Amino acid sequence: MLDFLKRKKTPGGKRRKSDEDLFDEEFQRRLEVLAIVSRKIYRGRMRAERRSKKTGAGIEFADHREYAPGDDFRYLDWNVYQRTGRLLVRLFEEEEDLSVYILVDQSRSMGMGDPPKLDYAKRVAAALAYVGLANLDRISVLSFDERMEARLAPTRGKNRIFKVFDFLRPLQADGETRLEDSLKTFAAQNKRRGIAILISDLYDPAGFEDGINQLRYAKFEPFVLHLLDPAEANPPLHGDVRLVDHETGEFREVTITPRVLKKYREAHEAYRKEIANFCGTKQVAYHALSTDTPFDEAVLEVLRAGGLVR
Amino acid sequence: MNGVFAFTFTGLTTSGVLTVLGVAGGAVVVLYLLKLRRRRVEVPFVKLWHQVLAEKQTTRLFSQLKRLLSLLIALLVVLGLATALGDPRSEGALSEGRTLVVLIDASASMQATDVEPSRLAKGIERVDALIEGLGPADRMLIAQLDATATPVSPLSGEPRVLKDALENIEPTEVAANLRAGLHLALDVLRDQPQPEVVVVSDGNLDATRFDPRVFETRLSERDVRLSWIEVGERGRNVGISAFSVRRYPLDKSQSEVLVELNNPTDEVQAIEMTLLGDGEAVDVQRLNLDPGERLRRFFRNISGVDEALEARITMVDGSHDDLQADDRAYARLPERRRARVCVVSAGNLYLQAALLLDEYLDVTEVTPENYPAEGEFDVYIFDAWAPLSPPDGASLYLAANRWEEGRGPLEITGEFETPYFDHLNRRNPLLRWTALRDVNVARAAEVRLQPGDRAIARDDRGPLIVQGARDGKRFVAFTFDVRESDLPLRVAWPMLLLNTIDTFVQEDVGFVSSFQTGDTWHVPVPAHLESVTIVDPHDAERRVPVVEGRAVFAGLRTGFHTVRMDDGTEERFAANLGAGEESHIAPAEELSVGAMAASAPTAGEIGARREIWLYLVLFVLGILSVEWWTYHRRMTV
Repeated sequence: MLDFLKRKKTPGGKRRKSDEDLFDEEFQRRLEVLAIVSRKIYRGRMRAERRSKKTGAGIEFADHREYAPGDDFRYLDWNVYQRTGRLLVRLFEEEEDLSVYILVDQSRSMGMGDPPKLDYAKRVAAALAYVGLANLDRISVLSFDERMEARLAPTRGKNRIFKVFDFLRPLQADGETRLEDSLKTFAAQNKRRGIAILISDLYDPAGFEDGINQLRYAKFEPFVLHLLDPAEANPPLHGDVRLVDHETGEFREVTITPRVLKKYREAHEAYRKEIANFCGTKQVAYHALSTDTPFDEAVLEVLRAGGLVR
Repeated sequence: MNGVFAFTFTGLTTSGVLTVLGVAGGAVVVLYLLKLRRRRVEVPFVKLWHQVLAEKQTTRLFSQLKRLLSLLIALLVVLGLATALGDPRSEGALSEGRTLVVLIDASASMQATDVEPSRLAKGIERVDALIEGLGPADRMLIAQLDATATPVSPLSGEPRVLKDALENIEPTEVAANLRAGLHLALDVLRDQPQPEVVVVSDGNLDATRFDPRVFETRLSERDVRLSWIEVGERGRNVGISAFSVRRYPLDKSQSEVLVELNNPTDEVQAIEMTLLGDGEAVDVQRLNLDPGERLRRFFRNISGVDEALEARITMVDGSHDDLQADDRAYARLPERRRARVCVVSAGNLYLQAALLLDEYLDVTEVTPENYPAEGEFDVYIFDAWAPLSPPDGASLYLAANRWEEGRGPLEITGEFETPYFDHLNRRNPLLRWTALRDVNVARAAEVRLQPGDRAIARDDRGPLIVQGARDGKRFVAFTFDVRESDLPLRVAWPMLLLNTIDTFVQEDVGFVSSFQTGDTWHVPVPAHLESVTIVDPHDAERRVPVVEGRAVFAGLRTGFHTVRMDDGTEERFAANLGAGEESHIAPAEELSVGAMAASAPTAGEIGARREIWLYLVLFVLGILSVEWWTYHRRMTV
């Protein structure tokens, strides 16, 4: 299926240099498998759910409403009039492309971990983008830190995946996390509503809630992919240390004991649960991804969870 | 502090210890006072730690206490190490202890089994108890006393070292040389505190080789105490005190054996003596020995024995006496070799007649004109004639005064009349069993000897019989003509002749049928060897040097020994218990050196004998181990 990807060569006849790193042949091969598997899921379970909620000039009947002057006579339902004597206008679902926005957090905290969370986020973003492109969705990829940084214009068709690669590849972890500001900007800049997949570690000193709410208020369908590094949940620390915030530079001196570590693990888990509970309460799809899980397994897991599209 | 709780530093001085303590302790305190430079660790979201750290504040006091405890532990470690450097000792341990030299008698009489399992084992057991009773400042050296005194341990206060040394004590079959033991003890105890010599013995010591009054004086002058640990209960024993065999010089096919039996007890002992030749019984006799009797028996004209003889005695009633080391004696017979003799003579009836006496000689006679004769010979005899160059073998030259000028191994410078055998080397094997004093000789040649030549018989005016070597070939030369003397009429003439031939073919006329333990043995071996291996009857091997054709060493074991040459050939020889006194195994009533009588050993002071610094270091290591363990178990961080 991805044979065209393999044939894609640089003008010099050599394979793209970037293939050696994040999006190498192995990655692309796994993308192909992922696309095949994901299509089954789309066809079997999700296709019916991906209609636009908008009614208009479609062919699929949606509902009736009372005739109002000015309505197009062609949509009057004469059969109903004949039976009931009421003038009702047939409404049809308006078919339109599904817009999927993949928002990648590129703040400094995403540069931590092994592998770095940002690398993992890039791969997951690329995989989701490819699945969407393969299903003819309009895919747009954006990165943000304390503001919206870069944007890949909405595109369609799986042969556009290299655009996605080229967009993701140069992203570097830098800047602070300000979800509210950056997502507010995103909502303002993108009038076409759709699914907004937020890939982030959600380490925002100002809180994650306002950022997600910005998406909700702007009628986007937020989907939160929460990246978790196992070493962050259970840090291998001991003794007297100075803890320095990777983004803000804020520090704290502490003597790490088994008891302190236990408390930290509890705090970390509580934070994760707080996010999950918030999302659950607000009807926001949420999925926590551990960076030690292979990206393709993680993506399939997300798709199988069925929350990516409504 | 008093008693064992009072300590004195024997390493660093007290001021030195305090200095180390002050410097190191101060350094530790300063290091603890300095602000800890914490390791920088970057975290993605420090906000998460705030909640944890807020609770942590409540444990700050406990942290400070832990820090204080850590400082105290570090100071404790410094204190322990500084004190260990001072090497503290209890004052009890510092008081001057005894210095003991324990001489354990390992002589033959200590193998007596009147106490189980033997006197020597019992004595070692008593020394073990003595070691257990050593005081904290006592030191001891253990030595084995046999023909010599050999230290088996260093001068040490460590019981383990001393007890290990006891395992090196081995029984010997010699008399114990008390003189050697006292020499060693006096040397070791020179300038030592509370010197004491402890003799572990049955009291049957060889005190004949020295003047006890000399040692009594030296012991008294140096204030050395003489102690005795007595072992042994009784002395029922009969032994073979002498055993010798020889071939008859003029009939070497037969032998004569001498056996001497000794009954040192106060009772009549009935014994059965068996004489074995090459392992077969040759003679058996039952004898009654009176109290204190030494009985000699000769066994004459024993034939059919080629190599070894052994004598054994047993009690007639089937019982065993208390010492079995002297119940057997061994002897070797010299090996018979057939010698090829070439006689170069114009005719000498005396010579021919003497050579006929030994049937093991193959004699070939030629005249000087027909010399050299065909064939190879072991010995050449030149009678009144000498060749221009020495033959390829040992040679006997007769009548040097008749040699042609310039011939023969000796330079003839003149002649002198009626010489006498004024000076005889009696120890030379050539003259064995000969009487030459009154031999009359008409004349003899004056000869000039070369370096290495020996005149074994001589007149005041010159040599009569000369022994030497030319170009590696041995020779014996008579400077007179036996026909111009009355020597051929005497038994000495054939003896001289046969002794000379035996010497040349290495059938040693000086062969010793058995050696005696305790003596220095000179075992004949080929002269060109530098060393040989001696294997004793217990299969223990030792390398011994060869000096002038003799392997020289002090033998300690009875029985048949083997001499192993480097080319793989072997010879055997026998050794018997040397000192007849060793058969007298009744324990002595007292042990004395001159007028100084030995008493019981002194007792050691009870007290802690260990060095404290070792425990201090172990204590510090223990603390560090616990701290290391708790640190790595995250219990103290």
